[in-house]
Amino acid sequence: MNQNENDFEALTRLLALKRHETPPPGYFEGFADQVTARIRTGDAVEHGGFAERLAAEAPWLVNFLGLFQAKPAFVGAFASALCLLLLLGIVLTDRPDAVPTGSPLMSQVTADASQAEATTTTAATTTSPSSPLLLAENTNSSLQPVGSPLFGSQNAFFQSASYAVPGN
Amino acid sequence: MIMAEPAARPDFKPSLPPGEPDLLHRARRGDLTAYDELVRLYQERIYATIYHMTSNHEDANDLAQESFIKAFQALKSFKGGSSFYTWLYRIAVNKTINFLKQRKNRTHMSLNDLDFNTEHDPDLVALISDKTPRREAGLAELQEKLNAALLKLSEPHRMVVVLHDVQGMSHEEIAKIAECNIGTVRSRLFYARQQLQGFLADYLK
Repeated sequence: MNQNENDFEALTRLLALKRHETPPPGYFEGFADQVTARIRTGDAVEHGGFAERLAAEAPWLVNFLGLFQAKPAFVGAFASALCLLLLLGIVLTDRPDAVPTGSPLMSQVTADASQAEATTTTAATTTSPSSPLLLAENTNSSLQPVGSPLFGSQNAFFQSASYAVPGN
Repeated sequence: MIMAEPAARPDFKPSLPPGEPDLLHRARRGDLTAYDELVRLYQERIYATIYHMTSNHEDANDLAQESFIKAFQALKSFKGGSSFYTWLYRIAVNKTINFLKQRKNRTHMSLNDLDFNTEHDPDLVALISDKTPRREAGLAELQEKLNAALLKLSEPHRMVVVLHDVQGMSHEEIAKIAECNIGTVRSRLFYARQQLQGFLADYLK
């Protein structure tokens, strides 16, 4: 290895030039303060507790939420999709087969729902038959959401109500 | 041309500064005042290593700060198997190498100025021809060519040259930092020097 050192003697002398490169005067005077200041700022996140646990246990969720920060358009698109799903859910809800008939309170709702269902059924016949949301091809049972993948056979948003009238 | 004796490399002795164990103990418990002292102990060497590897002052500043921040956050995982300095160096070097790999083809030099002792360094005086009209111009060109040549090396090869030939570390210390065996360090150093000799042939006559 001594021979190798001699071969590179000129190079190592040239590399000595690097030792003369120095940062601007006073550079190191505030360096440590900057480091500790950044650590203190980072402490607010470190002690956030929930944020830290979430990042550790559900990094996929953190990445998903990060999309909203990176591309705000995702917020609008996501909100629009949620609203659309909600509207579809309202339209496809279970209609009043489970609702006590003759109830004056529900009759108006039933009429409105029937009208909405009729409109929806009409739309369904003109849309793609492969739509996963509109499986009720039998218009006679258009009030019955059949095997909807989203809502199943029972609509979670609407449940039949029964009113026990005293004396009946 | 008579070659002067090569200037001695900075005497790198990773000895424990007085009071470091106590500072380390307190810093591990979250004492930022203690960690501030540790930063001041090692800031120049860590910055210098990163700067020599990146040839960019701004990048070196950011990476050096981030290295110290990361070291503080990881203090609880420091088990004392190596010296704190070696451990800190390892963080800084790995961070720098990862940064350089991400910016593979977008290297940009931002060189620090040479200090006033440069012109009197016998190693460098011998390299600059007396016929150069302005020695400063010769040194500036030499500095740029040297840094450009270093940037042509791969990151692992550049690291061993910087740590050994610029900062004066031993092969053993470099092996601990790089987490490889000493033979690897020596072979990388030899290869890197060969490469540099080729790149800088015009300045090594």
